[in-house]
Amino acid sequence: MDFLQNLVHGVGVALSPVNVLLCFAGCMLGTLIGVLPGIGPIATIAILLPLTFGLDPTAALIMLAGIYYGAQYGGSTASILLNIPGESSAVVTALDGHEMARQGRAGAALGISAIGSFVAGTIATVVIAALASPLASLALVFGPAEYFALMLTGLAFAVLLARGSVFKAIIMILIGILLSTIGPDLTTGQLRLTFGAVWLADGIEIALLGMGLFGIAEVFRSLEHGEARQVRQTRIGSLLPSREELRASARPILRGTLLGSILGILPGNGAVLAPYASYTLEKKLARQPGRFGRGAIEGVAGPESANNAGAQTSFIPLLTLGIPPNAVMALMVGAMTIHGIVPGPQIMTKMPDLFWGLIASMWMGNLMLLIINLPLVGLWVKLLNVPYRLMFVGIVIFCCIGVYSINSEPADILIMAALAVFGYALSKFNFEPAPLTLGFVLGRMMEENLRQALMISRGSFLTFVERPIAAFFIVLAIVMLAVGILPSIRRGRDEVFVD
Amino acid sequence: MSLLNKGGDGIHPVIRSPQNFVAGAFLIVAAAFVVWMLSGLSQGTLRTMGPAMVPRWTAVGIGLGGAVLVVLSFLKEGEALERWHLRGPIFVLASLVIFAATIRSVGFLVAAPLSMLTAGFGSREVRPLELVIFTVAMTVFCAVVFRVLLNQPLPMLVLPALSIQF
Repeated sequence: MDFLQNLVHGVGVALSPVNVLLCFAGCMLGTLIGVLPGIGPIATIAILLPLTFGLDPTAALIMLAGIYYGAQYGGSTASILLNIPGESSAVVTALDGHEMARQGRAGAALGISAIGSFVAGTIATVVIAALASPLASLALVFGPAEYFALMLTGLAFAVLLARGSVFKAIIMILIGILLSTIGPDLTTGQLRLTFGAVWLADGIEIALLGMGLFGIAEVFRSLEHGEARQVRQTRIGSLLPSREELRASARPILRGTLLGSILGILPGNGAVLAPYASYTLEKKLARQPGRFGRGAIEGVAGPESANNAGAQTSFIPLLTLGIPPNAVMALMVGAMTIHGIVPGPQIMTKMPDLFWGLIASMWMGNLMLLIINLPLVGLWVKLLNVPYRLMFVGIVIFCCIGVYSINSEPADILIMAALAVFGYALSKFNFEPAPLTLGFVLGRMMEENLRQALMISRGSFLTFVERPIAAFFIVLAIVMLAVGILPSIRRGRDEVFVD
Repeated sequence: MSLLNKGGDGIHPVIRSPQNFVAGAFLIVAAAFVVWMLSGLSQGTLRTMGPAMVPRWTAVGIGLGGAVLVVLSFLKEGEALERWHLRGPIFVLASLVIFAATIRSVGFLVAAPLSMLTAGFGSREVRPLELVIFTVAMTVFCAVVFRVLLNQPLPMLVLPALSIQF
């Protein structure tokens, strides 16, 4: 039970007054931005990232964790009250959560989502603490070939998860990889694809990509509809779910936590699958599946717990292998790099304060949400009542401030603008931005590992077959791509949303 | 574009999926452009990869993908081109450009209101008076939160003539 001892040590670090305050501030700001319609966790973290630059590394990561959970919670609030999910994982919450809000049970929906998330977060924190050491030692046997193969598997998984055409998802990944190669070549230092411009010489920041593709592009899309969305004027109702509702939710929360914890560990953003999987499972297990979509509390409790557990365990690939499994984690890498921390297996041994403090603060972030944020729900409702014709102006200025604060470079705002136009075009041609983001996130690391792997093998691709672990991942990737192409499986996945 | 229109009118349209056709054509052009941009860089060998290796072959892959989309657009029925609503993007983009152009030269207290007032007109339901009030309130709010409370490196007001800079 070594890890429990470490966890206690981490709680000690996280509980210092400054860190508690930062975690709280992060939670508040994260919710504040995350609750804005159409702004998911990626855009929220991208906007708020610069706030942490001036802090010491541990405090910065603790504040970021707070922002992350605040953003997640803000997203759920928006989808429950407005039926405008900020990101794909909140779509599931909106199904039954918004229905509950229409019946005047918004409070119970918000309450159970916070309670479920807390339970899931608590369990997932222990999972991370328990798995971190063994997985980190696994990382020691990983060479470049294994890393490359693992990331390839992650990308294949992302293709499998993408909605719509598999072929288009693959193109999106390639575009993401291509965008990641902008800037200096890591080995020779030669500049690539920069148009000779100084402001492209360092490449594109992931935060710009997040704000452009997921923030401003979403504003473009929302402006098409005008003021069509309707704000829930009905009462919120009691925030505490009734005893019956709690009993009905207990098992879905635990099942959702289990599903989310497992899926979150997978590279390639398995966490996005968690709420869908949980919703499907609960619907299958329910005595009256017909209640789902009509305000079933299990349909909120399960997916919300799964989402949070997955969000939490997706830290595992990052902290143990140094591979960010999704865009949010890539933003975390960005934050760590600024403080001179290279994510990977060595963090745990070299910076135990930071590592265990971060893990403990994840749990604290969850607790913050439950005891401080939930009672503030009235404030968020007021915020959601601001008409969109003003709200989007606020989103635009937040993005401007966020971008400018990263490097104090006005040209970055123009890059974000270009990415926003690109993101709008993608939606017009039915391409999904999520695989692109993952390609972008992994692109550079894949290039470096491929280069090193081939250098070691003297240019022979056979190294990926001869090394058993690498071969295993390559086969896994091929299997996943094959599965993605099989039409029957794709159809089954889309069925969740029908009826 | 005439090819597309012809395709849309006929009973047997030449291009059955305009969306895929345009997307594919764009990808081919973009990929060709990238390959051209990389022409000065060495690709190296598999054993010692040069800086152009990964981007070049990724671009080739994208171009091939685009070609497949174009071919598919002649074979498979697909969706029509979606309408672009230009009002929102134009005003928002203008506001971003304004912010980028003014944040350093005159500072946030001028850049923010200017860009917010511009962005606001991106909505068809814009109400000028309401927008002005919102803009002023937001400028003050952001200045207090980001500069005073969070200590972000935002230049607030730069007036070289009066040698004001804070």
